[in-house]
Amino acid sequence: MISRRTFLHGAGAGALVIAIPVPALAATGELAPTVLVRVDRHGRITATAPRPDIGQGVRTVVALLVAEELAVGADDVRVEQAPGDTDRFGSQAVANSTSTRQLHEPLRRAAAAARCLLVTAAALRWRVPAGECTAVDGEVCHPRRGRLPYRALVADAAAIDPADVPVTLTPPHQWRLLGRTTSGRVDTADIVAGRARYGLDTRPPGALVAVVARPPWLGAKPDTVDDRATRALPGVLDVFPLTSPGEGQGGIAVLARTTHQALRGRDALRVTWRAGTPAADSRQWLADLEAALPAQGRPSGPQRTYRLPLLAHAPMEPMNATADVRPNAAIVWAPTQDPGSLRTALAQQLALPPASIRVEATLAGGAFGRRIEPDAVLEAVACSTRAGAPVSVLWTRDDDTRHDSYRPMSVHRLTAVTDDSGLPVRRSHEVVTWPLTVVPPFADPAVIRASGDHFPYSVPGDVTITVQPAPLRTGFWRAVYAGQFGYAEECFLSELGTRAGLDQVQLRRRLLPADSRLRRVLDHAAARAHWSRHPAPGTGRGVACHLDYGSAIAVVAVADAASRRVLRVHVAVDVGVALHPSGVRAQVEGCVLDAVSTVLGAQVTVRSGSVVESSFSDYTWARIDQTPDIDVTVVSSGADIGGLGELAYPPAAAAIASALAAATGTDVTGMPFGSDVG
Amino acid sequence: MPRYRLLVNGRRHDVETEEDTSLLWVLRESLGLTGPKYGCGVGVCGACTSHVDGEAHRPCVVTAAESEGRHVTTIEGLSPRGQHAVQRAWRELDVAQCGYCQPGQIMAAAALLAREPDPDDDAIAAALRDNVCRCGTYPRILAAVRHAAGLLREAR
Ligand code: FES
Ligand code: FES
Repeated sequence: MISRRTFLHGAGAGALVIAIPVPALAATGELAPTVLVRVDRHGRITATAPRPDIGQGVRTVVALLVAEELAVGADDVRVEQAPGDTDRFGSQAVANSTSTRQLHEPLRRAAAAARCLLVTAAALRWRVPAGECTAVDGEVCHPRRGRLPYRALVADAAAIDPADVPVTLTPPHQWRLLGRTTSGRVDTADIVAGRARYGLDTRPPGALVAVVARPPWLGAKPDTVDDRATRALPGVLDVFPLTSPGEGQGGIAVLARTTHQALRGRDALRVTWRAGTPAADSRQWLADLEAALPAQGRPSGPQRTYRLPLLAHAPMEPMNATADVRPNAAIVWAPTQDPGSLRTALAQQLALPPASIRVEATLAGGAFGRRIEPDAVLEAVACSTRAGAPVSVLWTRDDDTRHDSYRPMSVHRLTAVTDDSGLPVRRSHEVVTWPLTVVPPFADPAVIRASGDHFPYSVPGDVTITVQPAPLRTGFWRAVYAGQFGYAEECFLSELGTRAGLDQVQLRRRLLPADSRLRRVLDHAAARAHWSRHPAPGTGRGVACHLDYGSAIAVVAVADAASRRVLRVHVAVDVGVALHPSGVRAQVEGCVLDAVSTVLGAQVTVRSGSVVESSFSDYTWARIDQTPDIDVTVVSSGADIGGLGELAYPPAAAAIASALAAATGTDVTGMPFGSDVG
Repeated sequence: MPRYRLLVNGRRHDVETEEDTSLLWVLRESLGLTGPKYGCGVGVCGACTSHVDGEAHRPCVVTAAESEGRHVTTIEGLSPRGQHAVQRAWRELDVAQCGYCQPGQIMAAAALLAREPDPDDDAIAAALRDNVCRCGTYPRILAAVRHAAGLLREAR
């Protein structure tokens, strides 16, 4: 008798063959090559998304990868959200644009392993070589034996020793779903019907609601609390101090039956506050940063100082979390960027073994770096522990905007030595900024530099980073320090080009290696923008490039002088292989709108110790009438899959600011364009 | 506590709540309709946008008392199976990123198309300019509203 091993090897002709160690199969009669993929007795396929979806579309990519390898439609794959469990799922952090980069291979392999086992089971039943069988549309087919649906094969497949079955991945030229522009987001039917569940939509039976009176100025601590009026209100159950869990600022919590009652209860509190920094002012902070610039070196050439403001995350769904803490166990529902680390943190806070804590990652209404932090969850856990009941903690929009962990302010002094043609031959970039207080390693200048300095041009030089103590909470914000460093570098390069009368695209081409991915995307973006033609009268153009997360991107922006509107943005992006092109475009579009928003005016300011902005009425995020036409070209270089979620922000911001500068004849001196900073 | 008789998505409900409770919390917490989202609570983001007597309104700044005797429609009641032209257009153009603002965007767009079947880009922008999308899906929203207008034209 032919061994399975022998005839299976025929299956790989021309295809990529990878034998992976496949862990134990489920004893339930399901086929489950790894924790990421299951085929049940009815042939139903479930994929597990190990990382939360914050709008970056990871659940869609998970469905596409599994559907592709199991030869079914994306709709045939149910996507289940993994609970926090780093033992089973490894890192679950949505950070540093790693989700697709780190997940595509384990997911494809798991699904391909399931397919190969199903094919093997069919081949054994038919007594034919597996190489003659193919998986198509949820069935295994053989030219003479006919077809068998997966459900008829699951039990047999689950009984096969996976070590005997080499796994063949579907080669890219045979992809039906991956790389196609037609695939939409998996949750879209739920979203458009209002059925999609976010953190704030999670309310276990009997859950109470808490809102927190937070410090009216930075660092303030409650002094006296008069809660009589609050306690007299209907539905108010408790008022208690919430000490700052970890980095959060805490305050006075009001616990009630409904959100309305909790909010009215908070309104009725009389709290006096002490300590903190009631005189803090972000204009002064900026001046302090600037004063900390190193003494001027030898005067050498053109120089420009850029001043960048505080930015808030302002996710559409404000911070919130729900917890149900019992004596020996706890469940948490939260829109989080990192359910795995959250479970570890909760195990510590509650002194419970991680196995008795369940962290459910809901859909998140945006995150942008903010939901890496566990603060809202720790508050919910503290409230539930005290209440002995499930509690949802809601941050109002005002809380969310005024008690964020902001993108740090920064001051950048750029100096260049130029050759006779005006081209830079040496650069100096001196930065003064704050650390990320919620991520301690980001106080180290070397770590800040690794995050921020991705200067891609062949111009040698120095980067000097001075880190000043942060006067308020700071944290990850889309693209992290690259959003500041890259913006300043590209705006300065544009200014050098303008001073020397050089063409902005040619200038960059000359500073990039021939045949580099970056130069290729620059050429694509320039061509799409008809760069060689003169810009229309009254408009100006800007260009910027960026290389990060293993991906390359170039952006050309066109702005109108009179209206100060951004008219068009052309982007060419190379992420190696785009698995989900509509998702790639969406992330680029999102970054472009972040750039429009921050270059045209959104900033956070602090006066008399308090954040001034409190909602979208004064944190002036872009609206639909400010959206430019955005044209995204996805360039496939076939390089390893790169990251994308944050990639487009730095170059889009720089290209837009430079376009406004070119249109108006006003130099870029920071962000927002042409406004006071701080 | 006072009681209010509300007509939501074609069904009558008796709710007991404080008289200053906003319709948003009544919908979300008393009636379990979580399609309208809380984004700001002060009428500036549009995440809660729903229809009152067929027009786009923001339940976070309307009280339950003010809603008596009106027809309230939330995203859940826009169409039986998500088949309204605007919802279809949103699916076909893959508009959503995080999706949190989208129920409000869809309700605002549906109200616009009900009163103006063929809006130009300026009219779309004017109708939707106070619906914030923090993820930046505006280019797709614009395209989807145009597409929905086309779907409605075909249906006529
Ligand atoms: S929640 Fe109603 S407008 Fe923002
Ligand atoms: S899709 Fe996230 S806020 Fe609009």
